[in-house]
Amino acid sequence: MSFRKPSVLPGFGLTFGFTTFFLSVMVLLPLAALVLAAASMHWSEFLRVVSSPRALGSFRLSFGASALAASINAVFGFILAWTLVRYEFPGRKLVDALIDMPFALPTAVSGIALTTVFARHGWIGRYLEPLGIEVAYTWLGVTLALTLISMPFAVRSLQPALLEVQRELEEAAETLGAGRFYTFRRIILPTVLPSLLTGFTLCFARAVGEYGSVIFISGNLPMKTEITPLLIVIHLEQFDYRGAAALGVVMLLLSFVVLFTLNLLQAWGRRRQLRAAH
Amino acid sequence: MSITLEQVTKHYGGHAVVNDVSLEIGDGEFFVLLGPSGSGKSTLLRAIAGLIGVDHGTIAMHGRDVTRLAARKRGVGLVFQNYALFRHMTVADNIEFALRVRHVRGRLRRERRRELLRLVALEGMDDRFPAQLSGGQQQRVAVARALAHKPEVLLLDEPFGALDARIREELRRTIREVQRELGITTVLVTHDQEEAFAMADRIGIMNLGRLLEVGVPAELYSHPATRFVATFLGDANLILARRAADGVHVGAATLAAGEAAAAAREQEVVAVVRPEDVEVAASRAELGARFVAQGTVDELTFTGALERMRIELENGAALLAGADNGAIPHLQVTRTQHEQRGFVVHPGQSIAVGIRRMHVLPTPLSSFTACAADEAQAEALARAPLLTELAARMKTRIATRAEPQLGAGAPAAVRTAFVGATVLASGPQAARRAAWLLEAGAGEVLVLPAAAGTPQHVLVLPLDEAVRSATLAVAASVLRHVPAEAQYLREAHAGQSGGELAQQLARALAAVPEPMLILGITGLEGFAERCGALLEGGRWPVLIVYRPAGRTPA
Repeated sequence: MSFRKPSVLPGFGLTFGFTTFFLSVMVLLPLAALVLAAASMHWSEFLRVVSSPRALGSFRLSFGASALAASINAVFGFILAWTLVRYEFPGRKLVDALIDMPFALPTAVSGIALTTVFARHGWIGRYLEPLGIEVAYTWLGVTLALTLISMPFAVRSLQPALLEVQRELEEAAETLGAGRFYTFRRIILPTVLPSLLTGFTLCFARAVGEYGSVIFISGNLPMKTEITPLLIVIHLEQFDYRGAAALGVVMLLLSFVVLFTLNLLQAWGRRRQLRAAH
Repeated sequence: MSITLEQVTKHYGGHAVVNDVSLEIGDGEFFVLLGPSGSGKSTLLRAIAGLIGVDHGTIAMHGRDVTRLAARKRGVGLVFQNYALFRHMTVADNIEFALRVRHVRGRLRRERRRELLRLVALEGMDDRFPAQLSGGQQQRVAVARALAHKPEVLLLDEPFGALDARIREELRRTIREVQRELGITTVLVTHDQEEAFAMADRIGIMNLGRLLEVGVPAELYSHPATRFVATFLGDANLILARRAADGVHVGAATLAAGEAAAAAREQEVVAVVRPEDVEVAASRAELGARFVAQGTVDELTFTGALERMRIELENGAALLAGADNGAIPHLQVTRTQHEQRGFVVHPGQSIAVGIRRMHVLPTPLSSFTACAADEAQAEALARAPLLTELAARMKTRIATRAEPQLGAGAPAAVRTAFVGATVLASGPQAARRAAWLLEAGAGEVLVLPAAAGTPQHVLVLPLDEAVRSATLAVAASVLRHVPAEAQYLREAHAGQSGGELAQQLARALAAVPEPMLILGITGLEGFAERCGALLEGGRWPVLIVYRPAGRTPA
């Protein structure tokens, strides 16, 4: 396998060098510093910090709520994208622009907005409370916030893929005797699956790293509604720099494992599609 | 009957894309729906497949009404222009799709798949993905897939559109063979007349959402009933001829009227002359066919087997229909190699032109004559938007005629007979002038407001049983050329006295956007009182069909 591949654009050496440099400075170097900081700890101390019940609780919440939020977005983002791609309706452009709002809004603003609506006396919260559903200051609120801020990723990944699904494919399936659900399962889903995975991955990654919007709505009860990024900040505020680094390293590892797995899945899906396309 | 359509109509955005189509397709028949793009043929096919619902009318298959039945329950196979193969599935999975849906056992599925692949000559391609196949091969897979569940009807929507000429030919043959072998009723949609001729048992020709004519290819080519079919199926010269008692007069020649009965009253008709039915020679004496006129070779193109010629006729302006914005229409001629060797021509050469065969169309509207009190007004009227549009759509011309006495007193004997439809400007004197023209011998008078646009609704009312068929024929002719909806008014109106009728008609006209009225009458007594309000308001175009009792119907 050759490193250099002929390309219409010259300057492969220069661009490759720049890419390596840029990635090193922006991504690898800070990460290395983090690992180094944690490495200065004793092994037993590291274990004590990251396996404390409070830390474990925060991992569970951070990754669990993120996975849940990404799943919710995979389903509802799909529906949103489908509606935007398939139907002409008044205000479609406006809805399309609204999708990007969570990108643009400072996350703290999203958090405050959500809290206002879902707090016990908020617009929606006051109707949920009699039903025994509490959103603000519970894990539900955390999931809600993560769902909101990661939603654009799911929609924007799926839109181009859905544009590819020609209506004729569905019509062909219909004349061949397939019902709607069968057509969805056997024709539409397999076609958009790679994009759905991409969307899920992006949502998940975004949600795991989220801080601003969550801290307002979660209430930050240790063991219950405390996310790992917040726990790290708490360690920092107590000048426990090494403890914070230890938690950061675990988060880094877990995120890497999850993202790497998802990437493998995607690559597998893409290979399948590539095979189909050649 | 395998497929029966009755008055099928489908609207999109208030516009009838498929307009009142009735059709019967027999068992095992290969039927081709032919028409230009936007003629509604694909929409009609989708309606048959059940992919779109219809607004009006019924669709039946094998005597069973399927109008409200979902596509998946209709038992049809559909092949698309762009194949619509499932790209993430192998050829085998694509073909077996319909069988898997029906939970057919694996062994039976494989057997059926093998059989279908043999049928479309793609043995051994089972494990390929669609993207690994050529366009022609993909379309073969699509055909095999559409046949897997043994549908009773196979529908093909422009299946060769994306393929190049050689592959197209090959696939055409395959599909025809498959169709014969299975004896399956097939409907193919295309805009390519050559394809239609090559494949069809019968062809149905569509334009502007209407099914104009249905017939076997050779019959449609030699005896079309409409201008559109005549010119859409191959090249055609449309000629304005005069039908008299002794035959049809074309230029210097009088030809036998053929199957159309000779008319007692001299009448203008539209005749179709195919380019291959024109003969040219150095002089009149050397012509084998009847001499029509002298002409000049304007343009000469060699196309291989055939030579194409454009001839400027000496009296072309009078003879040839077709209003190309004042440009003099040319006569199109094609000659075989054999004819070319017999008589070599050069551009600019003067030649004698003869016609071997022609076909008179039964259309009642031959041409338009804009008529006014003086020439300037007549010419202004001839430029009215609706009139020029109608003439362009009908591929006919607009003549002008000045009648200084128009509307004044009783018409004296006019110098020359009125032919075709006479057009009159709407206005204060319109009713009196229309009556004058009708009395002077005009059979159809169109009273035209200057600002009238393309009609969207055509209201038809024969005021007397005797004029019914003539009115309907004129209405049908108009409706073939404009994308409008017909509305047949009940003859109950007929008995009403003067003012009442006009009021009722005015109400009916005001109720729909862009209406046009076609009124059939047999007498002129009280005409001005009855119709004055309609003709003089200048709001609606009104076409009057006049067949007085005693005058021989056309």
